[in-house]
Amino acid sequence: MTAETRTPLLPARRSGRVKGLAKRFGTEEVWAKATAPVALLAIVILFSIASPRFFTAANLSGMLADSTIPVVLALGATFAVALAGIDLSLAATVALGSVTMGLAYQQGWPLIVCVLVAIATGVAVGAFNGVFVGWVRIPDFIVTLGTLSLVMGLALILSTGVPVQMREPALTFISTQSLFGIRYNILIAIGIAVILHVVLFHTRFGTHLLAVGDNADAAKAMGLKVARIKLAGYMLCGTMGGVAAVLLTSYIGSSQPAANTDYLLKAIAAVVLGGVSLFGGRATIIGPVLGAILLTFLQSGLTLLGVSAFYSPLVIGIVVIAAATLMRGRK
Amino acid sequence: MTDNTRSRSSFDNGATGAGDIKVEVRDVEKLFGSIVALRGANLTVRKGEVTAIVGDNGAGKSTLVKCLTGLYVPDGGEIIIDGEVAHFRNPDDAREGGIETVYQDLALSDQLSVWQNMFMSRELVRRVGPFKFLRRKEMKKQAKTLVEDLAVTVPSITNSVKRLSGGQRQAVAIARGVMWAKGMIILDEPTAALGLRETAQVEALIKRTVDQGQTVLIVSHNFEQVKRLSSQVWVMRAGQVVGGTRTVDVTNEELVGMVTGAIQLAG
Ligand SMILES: Nc1ncnc2c1ncn2[C@@H]1O[C@H](COP(=O)(O)OP(=O)(O)O)[C@@H](O)[C@H]1O
Ligand SMILES: [Mg+2]
Repeated sequence: MTAETRTPLLPARRSGRVKGLAKRFGTEEVWAKATAPVALLAIVILFSIASPRFFTAANLSGMLADSTIPVVLALGATFAVALAGIDLSLAATVALGSVTMGLAYQQGWPLIVCVLVAIATGVAVGAFNGVFVGWVRIPDFIVTLGTLSLVMGLALILSTGVPVQMREPALTFISTQSLFGIRYNILIAIGIAVILHVVLFHTRFGTHLLAVGDNADAAKAMGLKVARIKLAGYMLCGTMGGVAAVLLTSYIGSSQPAANTDYLLKAIAAVVLGGVSLFGGRATIIGPVLGAILLTFLQSGLTLLGVSAFYSPLVIGIVVIAAATLMRGRK
Repeated sequence: MTDNTRSRSSFDNGATGAGDIKVEVRDVEKLFGSIVALRGANLTVRKGEVTAIVGDNGAGKSTLVKCLTGLYVPDGGEIIIDGEVAHFRNPDDAREGGIETVYQDLALSDQLSVWQNMFMSRELVRRVGPFKFLRRKEMKKQAKTLVEDLAVTVPSITNSVKRLSGGQRQAVAIARGVMWAKGMIILDEPTAALGLRETAQVEALIKRTVDQGQTVLIVSHNFEQVKRLSSQVWVMRAGQVVGGTRTVDVTNEELVGMVTGAIQLAG
C-alpha cells in the first residue's frame, strides 16, 4: 500500500487513502486479528505468575501436544464457518473415524490402510453434509445436527460400544516422541495448518470459498458453482475429523466409540476466538490455531492451579460468548 | 391487467432487419411461484451499439437481464445470441461467451478486497506441478492499473469492498464488467448511486467500450442518459416489452408516456 507512488496522487485520492488506513487501525478487524494472540500471551503470563510449574519446557511441550486435536478440529470447523455454515457433527465424526479405523485394524489390515480408512470416513461424512447443505439446501445447522446423531449412532452400532486396542508402536510414536522438544502430533497439526493456509489464500478454491460464505448470490452471479464449493468445504471439514480420529487413536492407543462433545465446543470456540466471521466470508488459519492452543492452555492452567475439571466447560463457554460479543460489530 | 396486445405491431421498432443482431429475446417468460415477472418479452439488440431498456420499477427489467446472463433459466421462450439459441445454465456460461454483466445489486463480495472481486472466478494462476496457485501480486497490479483508469477513484485495491462508498462500489463492478467483456456488456442501472460528474465519466467509459466494438445493453431510469447514450430503446411494462424505437425518433416526453402507458405509439 505504501509503495504505490508511481502515479501522481490527487488530493482527494490521498485523503481517501489516509482515511482507509485510519479505519483499518481503529476498529473491529483489529479485534478479530488480535484477540487470540493477545489472549494467549495474557494467559501464559498470568499462569506463569500463578504457578512456577506452568512455564517449564515439559509443561509447555505437553500442553502443545494436548492442543493437537483441538487445533485439527478448529482447522476443519474454520472451513464450515467461513462458508457461513457450521458442522455440528465434527466430534461425532472423530468417534466414527476411530471406530472404522479399529474395525479395519481388527481385519488385520496394514496400519497405513487403517489410517486411510479413518480419514476416508471423515471425507464421507463431510460429503454427506455438503450434499445436503449444497444441493438439498437444508440449513447447515439442521443437516449437521442430524448427521451428529446419525454418525454417533453408527459409531456405537459398528463398535457395539467396545473400544479396539491398537498398541502399534508406529501409531503411538507420533503421540509420544518429539522433535526438538515438540511432539510429532502437534507438528503434524501445524503442517496441516500450513497447507490449509495455502489452500485458503493462494488457490482459487480458497477465494471462492470465502466469496460463497460472504454472499452466495453474488458468488453465483459471478459464475461460481456454489453447491460444489460448499461440498468441498464440508469435505475438508470432515477430513479434519478423520485426521483427528487417527491422532486420537494414536494418543489413547484404542478406538473411541463415544463422541466427546467437548471437542466440538472447543473447535467452534477456537474459530470464534480466531476471529473468523460467523457470518462467513472472512477467515484466517493462524487465528483458529492460536484459539485452540489458547483454550487448551487455559484448561491445563486451571487444572494446574487445582481448579476442578468440572469448571472447564463453564470457562470455555464464558470465553466463547465474550469473544463473540467482542466481534459482534463485524458485518 | 395492463395488457396491450396491439403494442408490438404498432411500434416501428427500427431494430428489425437492419445491421447485425447480437441478441434476440423471443417470448421469454419467467415465473416466481404465482408471480409472473416476464410474460413473453421480445426485443433485439444490435451488435456494436448501445441498446437501452426503460420501464417502471417491477416491470421485469432485472429479471430479463438475469435470464440473458443465465442466472435465471427462462420458463418459456428463446434467447438467441449471435444467431444461435443460447442455453445458459448459469452465469459462467454467459461469461465464457464474452458477455459480462453489472447487476443492479452489483454482485460484490463485501468482505473480499477490490482486486479479489475484480478477478472473481477469473483469477490468474501459476502452475506448479499438479497445483495452481494464485498470482496475487500480478492481479493486484493489473487491478490497480484498471481502476486508475476509472471515473470514480477507489482508495486502495487491497481494501475490502464493504469499506467503499456506493459510488465506489458501483465503479468496481463496472470496471470488472468492462475488463472481462468480450463482445457484450449488460449494465443494470449502473449509474444509480453516482453523482453528475461520475455519471458523465461512466457514460464516457460506456462510449469508449462501444467504440472498441462491444455491444452494450443498459437498463436505466434516466431518460436523459438514454437519449445521450443509446441508439435503440425498448420500453418494458408489467413483464412485457411494450414497444421499441430508434432513440433519435423519440423525445423525453414520449419516453415518459411510453413507460407510464399514457402513450401507446412512438414517433
Ligand atoms: N427472485 C424473485 N422472487 C420473486 N419475485 C421476484 C423475484 N425477482 C423479481 N421478482 C418480481 O418480479 C417482478 C419484476 O422484478 P424486476 O425484474 O426486479 O423489475 P425491475 O428490474 O424492472 O424493477 C417484480 O414484481 C418482482 O417483485
Ligand atoms: Mg431492476
